[in-house]
Amino acid sequence: MSGWNRSSRGARLGGGRNSSLPPGRTSTVRLGRVQPQAPGHRTIFCNDREANIPVRFPGNSISTTKYNFFTFLPKGLFEQFRRVANLYFLTISILSTTPISPVHPVTNVVPLSLVLFVSLVKEAFEDWKRFQNDMTINNASVDVLQDQKWESIPWKKLQVGDIVRIKQNGYFPADLLFLAGTNPDGVCYIETANLDGETNLKIRKALEKTWDYSTPEKASEFKGEVQCEQPNNSLYTYTGNLIIDKQTLPLSPNQILLRGCSLRNTEYIFATVIFTGHETKVMMNAMNVPSKRSTLERKLDKLILALFAFLFTLCLIGAIGSGVFINHKYYYLGLWGKKSGDSAMAYSSFDPNNRFLMIKFIQSTQYINNDLRMYHFESNTPALARTSNLNEELGQVEYIFSDKTGTLTRNLMEFFKCSIGGEVYGTGITEIERGIAERNGIKLVEGYNSGNAAHEKGFNFDDPKLMRGGWRNEPNPDLCKEFFRCLAICHTVLPEGEESPEKITYQAASPDESALVIAAKNFGFFFHRRTPTMIYVRESHTEKIGTVQGVSYEILNVLEFNSTRKRQSVVCRYTDGRLVLYCKGADNVIYERLADGQDDLKKVSREHLELFGSAGLRTLCLAYRDLSPDTYESWNEKFIQAKSSLRDREKKLDEVAEIIEKDLILIGCTAIEDKLQEGVPNCIETLSRAGIKIWVLTGDKMETAINIAYACNLINNEMKQFIISSETDVIREVEDRGDQVEIARVIKEQVKKDLKRCLEEAQNYLHSVSAPKLALVIDGKCLMYALDPSLRVTLLNLSLNCNSVVCCRVSPLQKAQVTSMVKKGAKKITLSIGDGANDVSMIQAAHVGVGISGQEGMQAVMASDFAIAQFRFLTDLLLVHGRWSYIRLCKVVTYFFYKNLTFTLTQFWFTFQTGFSGQRFYDDWFQSLYNVIFTALPVIIVGLFDKDVSAALSKKYPELYREGIRNAFFKWRVVAVWAFFSVYQSLIFYYFVTSSSDRGQNSSGKMFGLWDVSTMAFTCVVVTVNFRLLMMCNSITRWHYISVGGSLAAWFIFIFIYCIIDQKRNLYYVIYVLMSTFYFYLTLLLVPVFALFGDFVYQGIQRWFFPFDYQIIQEIHRHEPEGRSRDDLLEIGNQLTPAEARSFAVAQLPREVSKHTGFAFDSPGYESFFASQLGVHAPQKAWDVARRASMKRTAKKK
Amino acid sequence: MDAKDGASDLTSSTKKKSRRPKYSQFTQQELPACKPILTPAWVILIFVAIGIVFLPIGFASLFASEHVVEIVNHYDRDCVPPNYVDNKLAYIQSSKTNKTCIRRVTIPKQMKSPVYIYYQLDHFYQNHRRYVKSRSDGQLRSKSNEKKTDTCAPERYTANGAIVPCGLVAWSLFNDTYKFSVNNKQLGVSKKDITWKSDPKKKFGSDVYPKNFQSGGLIGGAKLNSSIPLSEQEDLMVWMRTSTLPTFRKLYGKIEADLEADDIVTVTIENNYNTYIFGGNKKLVLSTASWIGGKNCLLGIAYLTVGGLCLFLAISFLLLYLFKPRPLGDTSYLSWNRSAPGGHIY
Repeated sequence: MSGWNRSSRGARLGGGRNSSLPPGRTSTVRLGRVQPQAPGHRTIFCNDREANIPVRFPGNSISTTKYNFFTFLPKGLFEQFRRVANLYFLTISILSTTPISPVHPVTNVVPLSLVLFVSLVKEAFEDWKRFQNDMTINNASVDVLQDQKWESIPWKKLQVGDIVRIKQNGYFPADLLFLAGTNPDGVCYIETANLDGETNLKIRKALEKTWDYSTPEKASEFKGEVQCEQPNNSLYTYTGNLIIDKQTLPLSPNQILLRGCSLRNTEYIFATVIFTGHETKVMMNAMNVPSKRSTLERKLDKLILALFAFLFTLCLIGAIGSGVFINHKYYYLGLWGKKSGDSAMAYSSFDPNNRFLMIKFIQSTQYINNDLRMYHFESNTPALARTSNLNEELGQVEYIFSDKTGTLTRNLMEFFKCSIGGEVYGTGITEIERGIAERNGIKLVEGYNSGNAAHEKGFNFDDPKLMRGGWRNEPNPDLCKEFFRCLAICHTVLPEGEESPEKITYQAASPDESALVIAAKNFGFFFHRRTPTMIYVRESHTEKIGTVQGVSYEILNVLEFNSTRKRQSVVCRYTDGRLVLYCKGADNVIYERLADGQDDLKKVSREHLELFGSAGLRTLCLAYRDLSPDTYESWNEKFIQAKSSLRDREKKLDEVAEIIEKDLILIGCTAIEDKLQEGVPNCIETLSRAGIKIWVLTGDKMETAINIAYACNLINNEMKQFIISSETDVIREVEDRGDQVEIARVIKEQVKKDLKRCLEEAQNYLHSVSAPKLALVIDGKCLMYALDPSLRVTLLNLSLNCNSVVCCRVSPLQKAQVTSMVKKGAKKITLSIGDGANDVSMIQAAHVGVGISGQEGMQAVMASDFAIAQFRFLTDLLLVHGRWSYIRLCKVVTYFFYKNLTFTLTQFWFTFQTGFSGQRFYDDWFQSLYNVIFTALPVIIVGLFDKDVSAALSKKYPELYREGIRNAFFKWRVVAVWAFFSVYQSLIFYYFVTSSSDRGQNSSGKMFGLWDVSTMAFTCVVVTVNFRLLMMCNSITRWHYISVGGSLAAWFIFIFIYCIIDQKRNLYYVIYVLMSTFYFYLTLLLVPVFALFGDFVYQGIQRWFFPFDYQIIQEIHRHEPEGRSRDDLLEIGNQLTPAEARSFAVAQLPREVSKHTGFAFDSPGYESFFASQLGVHAPQKAWDVARRASMKRTAKKK
Repeated sequence: MDAKDGASDLTSSTKKKSRRPKYSQFTQQELPACKPILTPAWVILIFVAIGIVFLPIGFASLFASEHVVEIVNHYDRDCVPPNYVDNKLAYIQSSKTNKTCIRRVTIPKQMKSPVYIYYQLDHFYQNHRRYVKSRSDGQLRSKSNEKKTDTCAPERYTANGAIVPCGLVAWSLFNDTYKFSVNNKQLGVSKKDITWKSDPKKKFGSDVYPKNFQSGGLIGGAKLNSSIPLSEQEDLMVWMRTSTLPTFRKLYGKIEADLEADDIVTVTIENNYNTYIFGGNKKLVLSTASWIGGKNCLLGIAYLTVGGLCLFLAISFLLLYLFKPRPLGDTSYLSWNRSAPGGHIY
């Protein structure tokens, strides 16, 4: 039982850690949910396959396929029939095989099988690719120690306990225990990009005891026993012991090399396998992205169900009618000896024939992946649509939930300012300060700027008082020295590359850390080498200006950063024996642990912290403590004890750290600028004009969050801000008393009161005439109570009234809760965008999840539906692709609805006049090919190519997007209008054609029969339906003409051939009979025009008196040439290869002119000729000349 | 989801290449397109164009239809002898009653040869599912398919073998006959060429002779001369081209002589066919034909209606355009400008 307890605590701890996760640090984040751990522990015998046999560890082969040979068919079919449409067709097909059906079962079974077959083949193909991928992985080879020799075996043969050798840049085949490596001090470097996307190297260190097993001979003697936890999915924890020579050595994540990582900067290492195959942590983390279906698709299901109900009603009418009609008096029906009413079920075969195959096809097109506007050049990342069936959802997003760091901001940290011993240094002005000043109408003068201001990545600081040894003349030179040393020593950064200040690069877990080390370097404290026990720093100006001396510090203990501690400490020993603890951490944490009697400094520094905070800077406090050897020694014992404990090691370590991290002396604080992503403020403004509300959900402090919100134009001073914070005096007072129940009660009361008050106020504002925009800022602690079911409604009402909402200090779980509150509570379409692992839950909770790709951290992308490289690409993703997808899908769906309803209704009218017998009006083949051939292609073309306004205009008029939010194109009213015209048209098709054809049909007075008339009607339906499609197109490309023409041609070719070969049935020679009469041509001209007349009048009136916004935009820009604007051209043009640029430039030429360019291709400078006609100066391009040269050559060859 | 595993990335990570999408008009969604805008001018123009095209066609077809002379004589009720009026069924089902009936028809206008004779039935559901499928086209076409009668239930075979032609359609063949005379002079009724050419050529075999037809327990309608192949039984072919609606006309024959105005045509009807049981009507129709066929006002009227409506709408739109103009691309109509002062609210 104990194991279960532990795991549940682990889960809670994990959540807590996530809650205040500092940006950029993903070290404690978990991918999936924490799985309950199997109780107990496992024992692994290293290098001893026989001993491991009884336990039956799984092999190292993996399988990520969805199906296998036997499960494919049942499982795949089950997946398919979860769709309403497919299930519907299955029912129909089964019914059609019964003898009472009026149609041949083939006509229903064939299309269904076709749809199923295509879907299954697609599934099978995707699964096959997965299988092949698995095979490649399983068959990759690895060196295993066998009989003192290295044998190369495939990964899948690897077993628990084997000793393997991994070479540089090699991937770890399983979870390994690191034994020894070529680096002298048992260290190796690994890259974990495949796990968490972080590209910075991590250090792993073998136990000292195993360092020596670095030759095959020695390693083969290695006999150890590993006792460790059961396999689990926590990537960053591991507890276990290595028992070797009867000694028990504690193991930590530091010795574990996870599958999927790769070895760097180390020639090779030896390691023993501890978890294999599906028990490896990375495999245990593999999770399926929850399959999302778009709201439109769900609404479509409803529509299908409604149609189903409608058809059922028709069937019922038919059945009842049939029962009433059937009578022995109709002797010619041959009812003798039969009971009447045998055709009750016959009507079930009216089907709407919604073949969603086409929609699926449209959805899987890859416009998003190929859009140049969303390609980020710097990071070489194109956009990626990971789930293609959500495209249309992008056109209806109303709420965006955005992470801050890495999404709105660059996660590029620059050391910007600092405060040492109560003095502020640093002259820069942040964007935010500038923005605030501009808003307040103050003009800021750029501060002192020395000519040689140091600026490198991570360091954007200039102050002569500190630079180049200037600090020696400051009031507190000693404190300055401690400040710099603290920066240079207290960190977990790895130096890489040449040991010179210019060339060195630092590998750090977070960009803040490396920014601090870079700062130290620039101040003259150059950290250049790290060994597991030592840190080497080149210190300048310490003795006197200009001197440089190498100093080494022995690192005794590292008390690592985690988010509960919010601080990091290092105990180091100077060469002269001085023992110092350097500590850096969040202000409140450090302040709690400061020694008494620094009140002045504390007060001044506090002011500085607030100053930095309000400038949007991220702050850290630095402090140190001198230790006496006795204190240290006694503490170190406890530390070692804690470090080797098997249970709750982390907690014990935290407790031990608490003992020594006290009585600190404050040095000062640093301020780091978190740069905004490119184009973020503009993008946010555009999106808010589009009617999208943006909420920022961040783990940051309230001040930082508000500042970023200001910088992004999310909040401004004209807005009425509601701030619900837990940092009030009342709450603080209660918190000081420490009674948890009381705290909870008080905060809840407070939050309730605040929410009520704000809501009232907000509603008052709404009713007033000149209402200001509203903004809500709430912190995580209050949010916890506000999300309580009793208050949730109030919170929702309040937040929906606000234009922007900022939630700060929220945990990943709360992010997801807020998202699903809006998604479920307000039934609005939501989109979450984030870059880090802490956004995964939010991304999965929202309707649409967007991950920021191209930076560190792949987890968000793995969980997302769409991945883009930059926040600003959201405008393209939503306003262009989303809008188009939505409009297209609406058109496709309503058109499907229309054409099937029209078709079915003509059939229905017919049954009224056949004694409800269920006789088909049309031939079975007409019926089944109607959707598959005669009307299929044009609608696909619309789904692919239709666009109302160009991409540039979509972005220029973001307000157009609101039509999607209002769902203006797929309301029940829209469907009703289509349905109305369907009824109208079907009446015309049926009644006009039948009643006009009941006289002699040519000058020889011959009469038509049923099949002649139905073929006539069907021809009219096909023609009308195809032309109706052209009427709803906003842009008609040549593909439209081809597809519509092709469909009509297909019908006529089909009927011409069918009428000859179909000798068994009634359609023999029907079309030739028809075409020999004038009636055919007269009707063919009249009926489609007559049928479309209603739609045309409706469209004309709608456009004239109730225009949609996009229609007005079309009118405004009706004279502009098709294609991109000139600016857009420049923007894209830069990224084109010459060949593409050529095709692009040709595409840009005005259409009418380009028709005549046959001769001009050989005349020099044709491009500038057209350009000059347009009034644009176009310089000759190299490729142009080259192309002309090549043209001439080919001409000569001829 | 693919395994986030290393080996597959081995190749892709070693050689870095640009992942920039390729430019093409298709992927960038910039295919050249024409963008029609349904401006009022276009609407009016299209209406006018339709009107101009449709009105003449309408007039032409109406004119043609008006020139057709059509006489309809409803005879089933009047042909019942007075003593059977209350029991029409007994009259029609009895083989002893005299079915001959004389009708006189006055020709209102001159009818040029050929004059087509039709019979018209009401409430006869030739399009009923049970009826339509009760036939065997294979059997009709070729002698070799004589046994293919499975679709013909319940008229498949008799004790003597398969029925040719089988099925309810053939079984219920219309069996009233008409004879015409003007001024006591017999008018010949030609039964040739009353079907569409494809029927005798391909659908009804010249080697198929009626067999066991109308020899079952129940007699449905006309009998066929078993010495004449089906390809020459034009009445059967006409009958077997089942009608669309329960009210239908079928071509009976033609009179190859002009009928002058005020001629009185005497029709001798053998009133055999039982429509009394289901309350149907029988009518005799004499009609000439024009290029659009028989008297068919519907087409002409529809053309005129649509054409007229289009012109009317064109004028209405023009008036609207003059009195309530909306400048193209008036931004005050944009939904986000509507609430602003000067915006249009409707």
